[in-house]
Amino acid sequence: MKQAHCIYQDDEHRWLAIARDPSKPGYIIDTNEYVIVDGNEALLCDPGGIEIFPSVFSALSAECDPTTLAGIFASHQDPDIISSLALWLEFKPDLKCYTSWLWQSFLPHFGGTDSTFVPIPDPGMTIKLGGLELQAIPAHYLHSSGNHHLYDPKSKILFSGDVGAALLPPDQNNLYVEDFSRHIRHAEGFHKRWMGSDKAKRDWCERVSRLDIDMLVPQHGAIYQGADVQRFINWFAALEVGVLRG
Amino acid sequence: MNAPERNLKPPPRRSGELAGIVLVNEEIKAIVATAFRINLMALNAIFLAKRAGNAALGFGVLSNELRRFAQDLTRRMSSLRDMTSGSVGSVTGVVQQQRNTAILTEAFRLSGEGVPGVREARKRGALRLAEQQASLRALDLRLRAAVEETQQLVELGGVLARSAKIEAAYGGGFSPALMQVSTDFAEVIAQIKRSLEVLGKERLVKD
Repeated sequence: MKQAHCIYQDDEHRWLAIARDPSKPGYIIDTNEYVIVDGNEALLCDPGGIEIFPSVFSALSAECDPTTLAGIFASHQDPDIISSLALWLEFKPDLKCYTSWLWQSFLPHFGGTDSTFVPIPDPGMTIKLGGLELQAIPAHYLHSSGNHHLYDPKSKILFSGDVGAALLPPDQNNLYVEDFSRHIRHAEGFHKRWMGSDKAKRDWCERVSRLDIDMLVPQHGAIYQGADVQRFINWFAALEVGVLRG
Repeated sequence: MNAPERNLKPPPRRSGELAGIVLVNEEIKAIVATAFRINLMALNAIFLAKRAGNAALGFGVLSNELRRFAQDLTRRMSSLRDMTSGSVGSVTGVVQQQRNTAILTEAFRLSGEGVPGVREARKRGALRLAEQQASLRALDLRLRAAVEETQQLVELGGVLARSAKIEAAYGGGFSPALMQVSTDFAEVIAQIKRSLEVLGKERLVKD
């Protein structure tokens, strides 16, 4: 079953990573969910699909009071990102879901009403959580046409959705990247195939290079920290993307 | 290598309700098609009665009545179809709510006792499910009442068909042709009765 790992804590400000689920059916892609807590408010980033809801909910509940969830941040519209929305709303009907304006009328197919969604404009926006001002950073076409990442300037953590994702073999369960060159082999095929726009990729690399990042936390695979963050950005900038093979 | 273990037990299968609606719709379509056939048959019977002249006056009147019956039946089936179309939304709502409840129950079980908000969420879910099931039951009752009314109408159609058979006996030289038409009427009305019996047994809410 999934477990919540605290990856950052400063007083009442915490980041939890809900990662690695050995009991998950093998035909479902493994996902990481992140919870940002500040004081009495929490935000859940990419809550995942319907099938893994019970293990995400119980992992979250073990570390924080689920009634303090104020919102959900959906980096984009994929089912492994947000198809559990109806279940979270079943638990807390007044939850807000922050997502690109592009998906505002698509995501209600998973659940929610007009008042559930807070559309994020293309250039991004500030999302307040407790005393924090989180920044939704544009990452369009990486891979989704309406895509945002979430930066926390206080903890210096960038939630990077599918960027940085690695499809790791079952025996590699480390939460953090330990050997960049070994790890990145599991990210290469994914980024080449899923990231469709070279221009979008270069824009993103420039944009995030200007941020002060200690940790880059993707939705699949291990977390990049310290020097591995810039190493990843450089690797991604040089990678040929939008190719079927090669 | 062992097969991966599933996180979730599948929620109870509730496809029966949707399958029931499909069955109801298919029977309605069959009855509408038969009603259209009665309408055409009645038109032919009216022409035949006119050709037979005075000997088939009664048969002509009954054919007209059978035509009206076919039109009434078509209208009723159309309102039944509207009812079942509406019920797809209600059944889907119940199925979704049941699935959500099953997954939430599993989540709450894994989380253990004492997680804040769980009791309230359970109560809300149970209330919503009860409301949706009550609305589906009410729809089911309306559908059954409408089927019963239609069965009475079809009884009248059966009486008309039998009377047409009696009138056919007085049709002189046209008697065999009129007899054949009235036998056809009786057969298609029997078909409709069978379809209505199936409809009457079908329930939108399974026990």
